[in-house]
Amino acid sequence: MHEYSIALDVWQSVFAAAREHGGGRVQSIKLEIGALNMIQDEQMTFWVEALAEQDGSPGVGLDIIHLPARVRCLKCTAETTPEMATSPALFFVPPVLQCGNCGSGDVEVVGGRELRVVSAEVEEKEKSDGAAGETRASRPSLD
Amino acid sequence: MRLFETTQSGSVEIQIGEDLQAKQEELAERNRQLFTERGIRAFDITGSVGAGKTSLIAEMVARLSAKNHAVAVIAGDVATTHDAERVVGKGAKKVLQINTGGMCHLDANLVARALEQMPTEGIGVLLIENVGNLICPSFFSLGVEARVAVVSANEGAHVIEKHPAMFQSADLVVMNKVDIAEAVNVDLAQPIADLQKLRPGLKVVKTNCLAGEGVGEVLQALGLA
Repeated sequence: MHEYSIALDVWQSVFAAAREHGGGRVQSIKLEIGALNMIQDEQMTFWVEALAEQDGSPGVGLDIIHLPARVRCLKCTAETTPEMATSPALFFVPPVLQCGNCGSGDVEVVGGRELRVVSAEVEEKEKSDGAAGETRASRPSLD
Repeated sequence: MRLFETTQSGSVEIQIGEDLQAKQEELAERNRQLFTERGIRAFDITGSVGAGKTSLIAEMVARLSAKNHAVAVIAGDVATTHDAERVVGKGAKKVLQINTGGMCHLDANLVARALEQMPTEGIGVLLIENVGNLICPSFFSLGVEARVAVVSANEGAHVIEKHPAMFQSADLVVMNKVDIAEAVNVDLAQPIADLQKLRPGLKVVKTNCLAGEGVGEVLQALGLA
C-alpha cells in the first residue's frame, strides 16, 4: 500500500522534468528500486499509470530495475546478498536480513533501499496530443 | 544537469536521476533540525492496529505531564479523531490529529506540515503516533530521536519474524498486553528470541499499558524518566 505515496513522488518528479522539457506526453519511466522497499511492481505500475493518466499521459510504461538487498555483517564483516525465500505458494516475501556467510542477524544494510527515478521518455511537444498541461499531481490533504 | 537524447520515434529520453530515498531523508533531516532548534525531543510510535500505541502514549503523557513536562502529540490515522481525543484528557499541551485519508503511514512531509499547524512553543516532548500498520511506516523516516515499535501478545508468536523491516528500524520495542499472552496462547519467549536474532542487544520492555505496568521503564529507556 505504500506504493501509492512512492508512486506519487515518482510521478511528481517525472511530471516536473517533462514540463521542463516542453510538457509532452510521458511514454515511459525507468526506475531503480531496491528490494528492501518491498514494492510490488504491479501496484507500483497501477498507481503511476493512474496518476499519469490524470495528468494527461495515459498508458505510460514502467521499466523497473530491481536492485538486490546487500548487508554487511558486523561480526564477520562479510558483505552478502540476503537470501529471498522462494516458493510458488508464497506471493511476496521480504529478504531475511542476516549474514549470508556466518548467519548473524547483526548486520548493517548497505544496499536495497534505493528508490531512483532514472529517466523518462517524453513525446516531443508538437507530436503530443492533449499533453500534460497545467494540472499537477497533488499530495492528499491533511484535513 | 539533465541530458536529452532524441529518439527516432519523436520522443526524447530525459535523464532525471532523482533519488527519492535521499529526498525522504532530506525531509526527515529538516524535521530533525527543527526539533533540535526548538528543543523538542520527538519520538515515532509505530505498531499494528490494536497493539496499544494510544494506550502507551496516553500513559506516557499522563506521567510526563505529572512531572511538568510539556508534551505534544500528533496522532496519525486514516480517519477519525478518536486517538487524539483519548490523549487530550491526559494532560497533553497540544494534540493534533493527522488524517492521512488512505495513506498507510506518516512521512516526513506530513509531519513537517503538521508542525506548521501546531504551535510548539514551550513543548519539550513530542510523541507521534504513526498509522496502525507494521509494514509501511518502517520505510519512512520522520526525523525523530527514536522509533518505538509497539507489538502486543495477541499479534502471535511470529510477529517479529514476519515484519523484519519494522524491527530493523526500531530503537526500542515495547511488548504490550503481556497480561493476556497466556489467554491467547502465545509464548513470548518466541518473539523475544526472534528479536535477539534480528537485532542483538535491542532493548525490549514488557508492558500492560492499560494498567500502566512497564511504562516507567519505557520512559527510562527513552531517557525521559
